[in-house]
Amino acid sequence: MKKLIDILPLFTFIILIGVLFSFLSNKNNQLETVLIDDTFPQFSLSSLKDSSETLTQYDIKKLPALINIWATWCIACRIEHPFLMKLKEESVLPIYGLNYKDNREKALELLERDGDPFEFSIYDFEGRLAIDLGVYGAPETFFIDSNGVIRERHVGVVDEDVWKKKFAKYLDE
Amino acid sequence: MIPELGHIILITFLVVSFVGGFLPLASVYFNNQTLDIPIKRLTFFLFFLIFSSFLILVYSFLVDDFSVAYVAQNSNINLPFYYKFAATWGAHEGSLLLWILAMNAWLFSFMYLAKSPDKNFMKVVFSISCQVMFAFALFTLLTSNPFERILPIPPLNGSDLNPSLQDIAFTVHPPLLYFGYSGLLIPFAIAVSAMLFNTNTKEWAAYSRPWTLLSCAFLTLGIALGSWWAYYELGWGGWWFWDPVENAAFVPWLLSVALFHSLIASESRGVFGKWSILLSIFAFATSLLGTFLVRSGILTSVHAFALDPERGVFILGILGFFVIGSLLIYSLKDFTSNEVKAYELSSKEFGFLLNNLLLVILAVSILFGTIFPLIYEAITDGKQISVGAPYFEIILFPFALALGLLQGMALYLSWGVTASFNFLQRLTLESISLFSLVLLVLFILFDNLYLSSFATIFLACWIMVGTLQISKKRNLSYWNFLKKRMAVTFAHLGMGILVLGVGVVTSYSLEKELILAPGDEFNFGDQTIKFKSLEDTQGPNYFSKLANINFEDKEDIKNVITEKRTYIPSGQLTTEAGIITEPFQDLYISMGDNLEADIWSFKVQIKPFIRWIWLGALLIAIGSMLSGIKRIQRS
Repeated sequence: MKKLIDILPLFTFIILIGVLFSFLSNKNNQLETVLIDDTFPQFSLSSLKDSSETLTQYDIKKLPALINIWATWCIACRIEHPFLMKLKEESVLPIYGLNYKDNREKALELLERDGDPFEFSIYDFEGRLAIDLGVYGAPETFFIDSNGVIRERHVGVVDEDVWKKKFAKYLDE
Repeated sequence: MIPELGHIILITFLVVSFVGGFLPLASVYFNNQTLDIPIKRLTFFLFFLIFSSFLILVYSFLVDDFSVAYVAQNSNINLPFYYKFAATWGAHEGSLLLWILAMNAWLFSFMYLAKSPDKNFMKVVFSISCQVMFAFALFTLLTSNPFERILPIPPLNGSDLNPSLQDIAFTVHPPLLYFGYSGLLIPFAIAVSAMLFNTNTKEWAAYSRPWTLLSCAFLTLGIALGSWWAYYELGWGGWWFWDPVENAAFVPWLLSVALFHSLIASESRGVFGKWSILLSIFAFATSLLGTFLVRSGILTSVHAFALDPERGVFILGILGFFVIGSLLIYSLKDFTSNEVKAYELSSKEFGFLLNNLLLVILAVSILFGTIFPLIYEAITDGKQISVGAPYFEIILFPFALALGLLQGMALYLSWGVTASFNFLQRLTLESISLFSLVLLVLFILFDNLYLSSFATIFLACWIMVGTLQISKKRNLSYWNFLKKRMAVTFAHLGMGILVLGVGVVTSYSLEKELILAPGDEFNFGDQTIKFKSLEDTQGPNYFSKLANINFEDKEDIKNVITEKRTYIPSGQLTTEAGIITEPFQDLYISMGDNLEADIWSFKVQIKPFIRWIWLGALLIAIGSMLSGIKRIQRS
């Protein structure tokens, strides 16, 4: 009986670790499945170029398309930028930007300087749409198929490799 | 090149800590002199390595080396230099480095200041600490390397330190907290060594006690500063939010308090040996668990760390390895030879037992409340709930009440058996007198008495009287008594003051949302609030709307400024609350939203006695620090 009490802490702790571990693997899946196979969320936000112009989900007309979350304060976005430009120049597919918690003037300046790969950019200063999308941070990219359904999501920089592995297959469908 | 140097030094640290993690152990196990290495010098070397590596990261921040990804993500050219310095620990990677540095500083102090006659004991403590540091260093290098570069094209400017962290309290809050967490490594290592050597309880408790007290002091300061920071920086005027990160710090605090109390009994009477070992293990475990919860992203909180489930697995691995390992030793160990049991229900020993029981129940309930949303999400298939303040307050109240009642009496109890409980009569009488006095003062100050606050205020009086009046029992003057028992008096008195602050602030606070344009006035309590003017200003890396507010009462006019800042690099908004501090209350105003043109919403609050909460915490920290230092000097 005495021994049992001595093993109890060990036993309890192993269970705790097990439970926490299962949460962790749950979380891993969730990141992948959030909004996948769901239609793009509704929104009503201003355009980056013109603060008086309101954009909604119906303005994302050319499909299939990529939605790219970017910001001037996001360093990785600049690394990604040339690749997005390349997609645009080769007319692979239309890209829509979601400018995330950013300064409007600075964002426009950056597009002016480095080129604008986007059909248009939605200006999401408070991160409302980003919350609906479950965005972790910038950059992040979503693939929307011709029915307006989100099919794929990538957190981090999209480059040649990621494009081939994650996104290209949907374009062939 | 310089960041690579830091990287290489960190790798060297990894290798050396690995060697330190098993060679001394092996030399003890095989009793082999050839395996012997000079552990004191090795500790110094390790400290030198990690300190240099840390300094190099600091240097990269100070010279704006944005080719280092961590610097680029957390700094900016326009950031004032002292924030560049503090930005070193502004996010996950750098704070891990600081954590390792802190563990090393503790080990270093322990090796040089503690005098254990037993060489082998020291070797094992050293090895266990090295193993933990090795695990942390490996974690840092594999998943969160602060020296990673953005090459070949480094960004021209960084994305800035999170604006709400650009603050004086923040520059010191994390280091204090990390020193508190990491200090729990020493009691843990001592506990494991004590099990391995079957050390006499009195002996190892004496080694462990000062270090537990010191980590507890650091934890107290860290938590109190965090609470103070949240109070004026987040703009809500609250001082505790039951946020998962706060809980993650509060749980190890509770356990470290339980531990050093239990160690008093272990050292003086040789009792609770097993219990103290278990507490040492769990205090350390919860300090790691907190890190895991916060940084794996399984809980959401105001403390935004970059979320990465892979890191979560790693921390869980570290936690599992050390805690399961030590609990395995615990479960296999035969403690019977080392146990003393000779005390009555009325004894001081039993008092400590009750104290520990209550603190542990609190810790477990808070931990449970913190991870319950996860459990709920798992069993209901994705439904999310949050466990908020009501749960924690309901749990806290009865146990804290019992703890406080115990605390007031605790100093009067004697080892073995308490001869007489006559002191209770006097304690009650004097507490009631003080209680009436406090109520009178409150009535004069605020024209009001709230029944809801009576229990807490009485408890505060009970604790304070119990702490101070013990001098009478010992027939000493206050001054002589204070000189002799300064540490415990400070700490217990601090607790009383803290409880008083909590009791008053929860019942007597006033708050109101206002909509004002410049020139408007509003009557609030006995204050008239006047929105005098609105100005635009600019700081080094932000521009700001600045509201000039007057608080006017019969006697005097006080001016205060509250700001809404927009940080330029990130576009993020922060609120700087305007606070007027008086001895008995804070007048607090924070700017809300811009409704139209010059019309703004404001939140005004009157927070009586709120400073007493942090004053109390400060006294607790000073008390435990004094006690810890005194014990180190004595040894």
